[in-house]
Amino acid sequence: MALHLNLLHEEILEQRQRQRDPLKIGMMVLGALGALMIVYYLWNAYKTLEIRNRLSAVQHDWSKVEPKVTAAQKRSAELNNIISTTKVLDGMIDGRFFWAPFMEKLSRCVALNAQITSVDGLVQDEGKAVIVMIEGLAAGREPRSAAEELRQLLLEQLGQSYHEVKVEFKTLEDLDTLVKIAGDNMAMARFALSVTFNPSEGASKATSSPPPRGRTSK
Amino acid sequence: MKKLNLTKDQIQKLSLSTIGFVVLLYVYFSFFLGPLNKSRDSMLASINDLQRKVAGSKNEMTKASNLEKQASTATTRFAALKALSPEGAPIAWFPPRIKVFFANQQIDKATARLENSSVYKDADLSGWMRYSWFLDLPQTDFSTTGLAIAALENSEPLLSITHLNIHAIGDDPQFQQVSINATTAIMKR
Repeated sequence: MALHLNLLHEEILEQRQRQRDPLKIGMMVLGALGALMIVYYLWNAYKTLEIRNRLSAVQHDWSKVEPKVTAAQKRSAELNNIISTTKVLDGMIDGRFFWAPFMEKLSRCVALNAQITSVDGLVQDEGKAVIVMIEGLAAGREPRSAAEELRQLLLEQLGQSYHEVKVEFKTLEDLDTLVKIAGDNMAMARFALSVTFNPSEGASKATSSPPPRGRTSK
Repeated sequence: MKKLNLTKDQIQKLSLSTIGFVVLLYVYFSFFLGPLNKSRDSMLASINDLQRKVAGSKNEMTKASNLEKQASTATTRFAALKALSPEGAPIAWFPPRIKVFFANQQIDKATARLENSSVYKDADLSGWMRYSWFLDLPQTDFSTTGLAIAALENSEPLLSITHLNIHAIGDDPQFQQVSINATTAIMKR
């Protein structure tokens, strides 16, 4: 058996020790980890770049749509405002009390032996109540009856169009003066009527037709 | 298992490597990966937000288009009501308009005086003002007045008569003096 002598054992030991150097091993591990981290970072950076491209595409789409949307929103707000304002104005228009039909009815109620000297009307509670004071003169053998006829006719006529109609005498007094009607001397009475009614439901719209005749003065 | 015999020098080197590793991790996450992820998240949020807006905008435009069709009557009506309020201060154009109106109804000497003006409490009428006018017709007759008031109520839809006073003129009983209090809604210009 041949004798085998290792004359380089010290050098071999040193070489083995160099290979097992922890700093060297640590640096290698760190290098490997660093490489992995760089790869992971680059992968993430690539993904981010992709997302950035998507974002710029979406931003481009939005920049094309945005002016139209803003205009549409503005127009919608404007239209809603117009609709609501028109609704309120129409409510105001429909809620008005029309005096012309009332005057027409009043003129129909005044007979030849009556004269109205004053009409004073007021709309209250935003058109829910109308108060009219009517003053005038009635002539006849029974002037008070003539005034009462006017009151009843007025009650009947106004009742056809309005609600809660009340026609009441405030004053009714005989006058000393006589008036000549159709050649006969007639006694006279002065009256004041208070008329109240609610036109809100039954009030008719104003018509272009005028009162057929005026009776406030002879 | 073979026991790992480390010299003092090797332990120092190993500690140094560990510290280097920790520093590397910190730098990597704090200065590289962290900001990148943050930027990506914010971009994703922006994309979602924009996509939601784009999707919503289609609805918005459809709604506006439908509303445009539905509101055609209202817009026409509104334009007609708006046209009743000419440019300029109402005190400048309303009295002459009323004077011409009554003159066309065979009532001369009509005068209109502004009593007051106020804003509407209703938010929908924020662009409109209420004007109160006193209209004086010193000499007319009941029939003509009735005709004129009917025409006025029909031609001025935004005018509302709140008080009407008709009384005979003492010396000339065939004529009456008429005074009218009316309010109008006039658009702010």
